[in-house]
Amino acid sequence: MDDALIPEGAKRCGFPTFMIGIVIVGAVLLWGVYAMFLCWFKGLNQTNMNDYYGFALWIWADLAVIAVGGGAFFTGLLKYIFKVDELKNIINFAVIIGFICYSSALLILAIDIGQPLRGWFIFWHANVHSMLTEVAFCLSCYFAVLTIEFIPNILENRQANKVPFFHHLAHNMHGVMAVFAATGAFLSFFHQGSLGGVAGVMFGRPFAYREGLLIWPWTFFLFTWSAAAFGPCFTLLVTKITEIITGKKLVGDKTVHLLAKISGWMITTYIIAKIIDTIYWAWVTVPSMGFKLSHFYSNNGFYGYWILITEVILCGVVPGLLLINKSTRENPATRTIAIILGVIGVCLNRWVMVLQIMAVPVMSFDTWALYIPSWQEVATTILPVAYGIILIAVAYRYLPVFPQELELNKSADAAAQN
Amino acid sequence: MIENKKAHKFGMVIDLDKCTGCGACMVSCMAENNVPFKEDESNKKDSITWMRVYRLTNGKSFPETQIAYIPRPCQHCGGIGDHGHSPCVSVCPATATDYGYDTGIVSQIYTRCFGCRYCMGACPYHARYFNWWDPKWPEGMENYLSPNVSPRMRGVVEKCSFCYHRYQLAREQAIVEDREIEEMEYQTACTTACPAGAIVFGDLNNPAHKVHQIVKPDPHPDPLNHKVVGKSRNPKVFRLLERLGTNTKVYYMSDREWVRKAGDNYLKGEWENVKTHHGASSSHG
Amino acid sequence: MKIDRRSFLGLGLGAAAGIALSPVGVKLTDDSSIWTQNWPWTPVPEDGEITYDRSVCSLCPGACGISVRKINGRPVKIEGLDDYPINNGGACLHGISGLQYLYDPARIKTPLKKTGNKFEKISWDEAIALVAQTLGKIRESGTPESLGLITGADSGSMAQLFARFMDAFGSPNTYTMPSLESNLALTAAALHGADRRLGFDLDHSDFILSFGAALIEGWGAPVACIQANASRCERKAKLVQVDYRLSNTANTADKIIAVKPGTEADLALGLCAVLLTKAQISTGRLFGDVNKFAFATMVVKEYTPAKVEAITGVKAADIEALAMEFIKAKAPVAVPGKGRGDVGQSLREFAAVQTLNALAGRLNKEGGVFVMGPADYLNFPENVMDEVAEKGAGKDQLAGSVNELVDTLEKNGGLSALFIYNANPCYVLSNPEKVKAAMDKVGFKVSFSSFMDETALRSDVILPASIFLERLEDVVSGAGLAKTVVGLCRPMVKPVFDTKHPGDALILLAQAMGHSIAQSFAWESYDSCLGEVAEKIWENLSGDGYVVIDDRPPAGTPATDFSFLASGPKAAEVMGEGDYTLVPVDKMRLAGGSMASSPFAVKTVSDKVISGKYSVVEINPATAGALKDGDVAVLKTAMGTAKVKIGFNEGIMPGVIGMPRGLGHAFNNPYVAGKGVNVNDLIGPVIEPGSGLDAAFGVKATLSKA
Ligand SMILES: Nc1nc2c(c(=O)[nH]1)N[C@H]1C(S)=C(S)[C@@H](COP(=O)(O)OP(=O)(O)OC[C@H]3O[C@@H](n4cnc5c(=O)[nH]c(N)nc54)[C@H](O)[C@@H]3O)O[C@H]1N2
Ligand SMILES: Nc1nc2c(c(=O)[nH]1)N[C@H]1C(S)=C(S)[C@@H](COP(=O)(O)OP(=O)(O)OC[C@H]3O[C@@H](n4cnc5c(=O)[nH]c(N)nc54)[C@H](O)[C@@H]3O)O[C@H]1N2
Ligand code: SF4
Ligand code: SF4
Ligand code: SF4
Ligand code: SF4
Ligand code: SF4
Ligand SMILES: [Mo]
Repeated sequence: MDDALIPEGAKRCGFPTFMIGIVIVGAVLLWGVYAMFLCWFKGLNQTNMNDYYGFALWIWADLAVIAVGGGAFFTGLLKYIFKVDELKNIINFAVIIGFICYSSALLILAIDIGQPLRGWFIFWHANVHSMLTEVAFCLSCYFAVLTIEFIPNILENRQANKVPFFHHLAHNMHGVMAVFAATGAFLSFFHQGSLGGVAGVMFGRPFAYREGLLIWPWTFFLFTWSAAAFGPCFTLLVTKITEIITGKKLVGDKTVHLLAKISGWMITTYIIAKIIDTIYWAWVTVPSMGFKLSHFYSNNGFYGYWILITEVILCGVVPGLLLINKSTRENPATRTIAIILGVIGVCLNRWVMVLQIMAVPVMSFDTWALYIPSWQEVATTILPVAYGIILIAVAYRYLPVFPQELELNKSADAAAQN
Repeated sequence: MIENKKAHKFGMVIDLDKCTGCGACMVSCMAENNVPFKEDESNKKDSITWMRVYRLTNGKSFPETQIAYIPRPCQHCGGIGDHGHSPCVSVCPATATDYGYDTGIVSQIYTRCFGCRYCMGACPYHARYFNWWDPKWPEGMENYLSPNVSPRMRGVVEKCSFCYHRYQLAREQAIVEDREIEEMEYQTACTTACPAGAIVFGDLNNPAHKVHQIVKPDPHPDPLNHKVVGKSRNPKVFRLLERLGTNTKVYYMSDREWVRKAGDNYLKGEWENVKTHHGASSSHG
Repeated sequence: MKIDRRSFLGLGLGAAAGIALSPVGVKLTDDSSIWTQNWPWTPVPEDGEITYDRSVCSLCPGACGISVRKINGRPVKIEGLDDYPINNGGACLHGISGLQYLYDPARIKTPLKKTGNKFEKISWDEAIALVAQTLGKIRESGTPESLGLITGADSGSMAQLFARFMDAFGSPNTYTMPSLESNLALTAAALHGADRRLGFDLDHSDFILSFGAALIEGWGAPVACIQANASRCERKAKLVQVDYRLSNTANTADKIIAVKPGTEADLALGLCAVLLTKAQISTGRLFGDVNKFAFATMVVKEYTPAKVEAITGVKAADIEALAMEFIKAKAPVAVPGKGRGDVGQSLREFAAVQTLNALAGRLNKEGGVFVMGPADYLNFPENVMDEVAEKGAGKDQLAGSVNELVDTLEKNGGLSALFIYNANPCYVLSNPEKVKAAMDKVGFKVSFSSFMDETALRSDVILPASIFLERLEDVVSGAGLAKTVVGLCRPMVKPVFDTKHPGDALILLAQAMGHSIAQSFAWESYDSCLGEVAEKIWENLSGDGYVVIDDRPPAGTPATDFSFLASGPKAAEVMGEGDYTLVPVDKMRLAGGSMASSPFAVKTVSDKVISGKYSVVEINPATAGALKDGDVAVLKTAMGTAKVKIGFNEGIMPGVIGMPRGLGHAFNNPYVAGKGVNVNDLIGPVIEPGSGLDAAFGVKATLSKA
């Protein structure tokens, strides 16, 4: 039925099967959209946020998707600037995942602000001292870059590509993509960093505050680093999931191993920096403000040392080691475990840097604040996931996302034909 | 804005031994500043109270128990080194909250705020409140609203302004009469309401003002922590979370050591060393 | 023209680019943000000229001077009036919220008549005619004494106007709600003679011994007391608080004497005994000779330090030391009336404390207790009484106090009509269910309320009163203040609804009734009546806004009659059984009496007092058993059961449960009503013989997890 749109030679499931999947995920999407409109028309009283929890569940989701979306800029950087050509086999997909992550992040921000129609004040009345201003500018610009990076892939659609203008446009855009990749990497470096800065500059919040370099707190660098380190894990994870769902091998092992290796080394170096940062913060920064480390991990019903250990050791050191070690890296089971742990680790880091900050009491007579999100928050947080699934499904179906797909599935197709 | 010699630095000192926790300051503030109210205000985490009176105890059992009430307006932080980069002002992406270098007042422009709430996260005093709901008054009750402070719309942050409109009214009068503002001409609504006389408000930069005389702010940075400026040289006076370098303009006063200690966080043994240290100048006589 | 794909795309892209580059987008974006700044549902207060007007707050007996800020004549803010002799610029949170009462959703907007279970709007003419007609019939039937009046205050022209009406009508059945003022008057009557008021000169005392008086939580004239306490701190005058919980007053005290609830009188008598033995106060020094030897003998025998220790829990040595410290101070004063000193009080306790003052020679001394005459500034013309009136007014009262009245009415009835002015007995008195049952026994109830409160809801006709911001009235200080100030409450705004000054309503009613009653009320309006009856001070009153009648100790030392205490009255026993004693707790931020709190006041209340729909009760963790902080628990007393939340409080005596007073209202103001329980629902009245007071300071209770 939609055969004319499907990439040449590719095998896709029947249209009705595809639509059933889309409708199911679409229902979840609509639930999220409904919640989104509730938040817009009735206001943020639809959430369980409060004056202690000014940032809550979906801001965590926002930071988390941006972090895991870091696979796009980092893969692009490696491919186009450092000319790691092997990554051409996954770059399209990395860009799509990045596009989904960043568009989701912007959507979440549009729901999150109390006065969505004034959102543009952040550009118009920009305060250059604010990390959030930096985030807004870089995020928007980088989203534009991702769109530009995504366009050639869209134009490679079988029908679109028949239009000579689009054909040439796509071709020429590929040619200049290095420029965009470089811009993207630069912008991404800054907004990932400034997101880290958002927490790090809050000198009124000892749990968040970090000393740093010039105007940038250490979290600025740690966020960029961790996004670069764990972003590829997410790219690999989504690739793996897509492979399972489609029942096809889509990216060659060589590419996967290479990206996993790079990720492994990035994670390992990041986690060393993170451990040094944590130790310095715990031994120097925090005591200078009158706090002991235990203050942040006791006297409450949720946040214990477990969260620190899980983030740093279980979901940081462990995946790092698993991925730099050749045998565990190339073993699909241990690699998958490492990738999953890595994604959890970076998400947990963002959780801590958003939600735990708000929960920790600062004044000596204040108390821990715990918070449970409302269904509207959960729905709007799941909304991007549903949207992402649909976009990936559509892109996979109609665009030549994976250059190796045909080659890798030749034998399987042949077997099927027999 | 350029700092000039005549710059004011408005601030207050609240005597916690006088404060009875009566709540008059809270209500005076709400009535003065058109603060709305909801049917259920018992969840204090979404209850807009520009002035909030915290209650703390010494943790001992009856009859040794002691209570202290800590009224907490916005602290009008001057930020590290008192350079005007308050925790909240420095983070606001849209410049919807600003530091007045000539008054020391941290303003809030409701119509510019787009409700990102970053400032709330940055403020360790929970002095900022978000309008989660549209403000609503029972039919007819909006008749008592004051035009000097515009009612806020849903989706923006609000906080204590040190009753800035009272400053504006006083300043206008002073300008018309070509003179300086008198101490008693500009007083905040919480100060004038307090039946116990626990709050003293004025210009910390003006030695003739009572607040200056009580606080005796040290003009030099604290030698123990260079982020801190304006530490009180009065041994009974302290600020909340002074060590963070927020450089607040709301000072507190108490004869009770446990109350002064509760104003900040101290590691074991630190308080014993710190409690006698009150500003740089006192250490050289 | 054929539109192929390419030209279509080109057109689309071109249009998009065109719109993007045109000012339309910017304009729409800008407009939309401006719209969010001008949402039509966010009110825009009208601007105008600022003026200030002065008046007096009469929300509570404090009688503070207030300054009302207006914009083009529209009141926008109430603040304390500088240099006013009572409150000196200060005001309490209830007074500052005054404007919220003006527009309170529970206000009664027109006269109402009850038909079946529903109120029906009627005109003022109809309402007055209806009441006049019904009362006329009662008078015709020759039982004018069956008209009752329950009123809040009994000072000032409005109180006298109501008394005058009752007199002219022919009924002695006027009852005053218990208040600190009335309890002090009763004490003075028992000890020093009728028609006296007691004032405590806290401003000049150097040693205040407070028997649980919540001096900074609404006792007496709240702002005046808070200021007296602040000045006490500055003067380094001592406050010793006798209490069973760390009230805010106890917290500012130099010393707390922890006593078992309800044993304050025993402690006071124990102190008297020490003074008589140790301090060698000869009975000869006691003024007045009525039963002083009998008293001295009794107290020295029955209230030895050891015995008092056993009753109160205060160590004998501490009792002796306290008595000696008290007598050695330069200007000591003992203050009775735990909490706000209004409900749940006993004459035994008030008398014991006042006797301590008498023994220490503190009557009519600076810094002591002033035994003052009535505030005599009003001159009403002679009442015109016809025969019916003479006969009825000469009859005996149905009961000795409002509590006894409730008892009598509930059991036997006895009133055919009842006026209620300035009172909400169906909320304020212990066991309100019984009060309601008593009310139901009265055929015709006329309320002069401004708000549809628990009592107004049970009335047959409501003649809605304008509130203090809408009316002229003389407001006399009292409530334990050691000075007499008459202030002038002035209308700050025209009545917002179709209400009248209750004085005008009464005058209209009297005139509608005709005959001698009309002759007694031959004024054009309340305003002209006030000008006439207050003529003596009117010039100063209307000019300055207040007149200080006296603020010096009265001359001489009044005699003391010791008979009441010499008769050895017994302490009231609390009702019921249980491991705990439940006591009401007065909080400054919650109005407890006839006045309900404002939305602002309720908003300030801690989540350790109200939590959602629950009252939070204070309990010492040491005696909480299996209950944890924040648990929902069932509180049971002989009177009733309530679900409450547990709030741990180290500052309350183990075994005592403190429950906030002023919650559990049931009327149409969602900001104030429907929160928590009315503590009075759980407490049964225990009527003290000899005084008629409800002396139930608490009740035995059990607590279990819900
Ligand atoms: N989005 C949005 N933006 C707005 C508005 C809006 O409604 N929406 N309103 C606009 C309007 S009407 C105005 S007036 C502006 C106000 O905007 P600004 O004028 O920028 O801000 P303010 O905080 O009111 O005051 C500015 C500074 O003046 C200082 N100041 C006070 N007194 C004196 C003095 O005597 N001398 C000197 N040198 N400084 C003094 C204060 O401390 C403060 O720091 O904002 C405009 N911007
Ligand atoms: N706390 C505090 N108070 C201040 C200031 C401050 O900085 N802080 N700034 C002061 C200053 S500089 C100013 S200019 C004033 C501003 O004070 P306001 O004049 O109260 O200013 P806004 O808050 O902008 O609100 C203006 C109101 O006008 C209404 N409005 C807008 N357009 C129209 C219209 O076309 N017609 C009508 N009828 N109404 C309209 C909107 O509903 C809005 O609520 O506030 C002063 N008061
Ligand atoms: S107290 Fe909070 S809101 Fe006020 S200036 Fe300081 S950081 Fe800002
Ligand atoms: S919520 Fe408003 S004031 Fe606060 S940071 Fe955001 S825009 Fe600025
Ligand atoms: S200074 Fe004004 S705005 Fe601030 S708390 Fe006091 S009354 Fe409220
Ligand atoms: S009004 Fe004064 S005494 Fe009352 S709570 Fe406020 S600061 Fe304390
Ligand atoms: S103390 Fe009483 S009279 Fe004074 S302001 Fe408060 S409510 Fe009014
Ligand atoms: Mo303005």
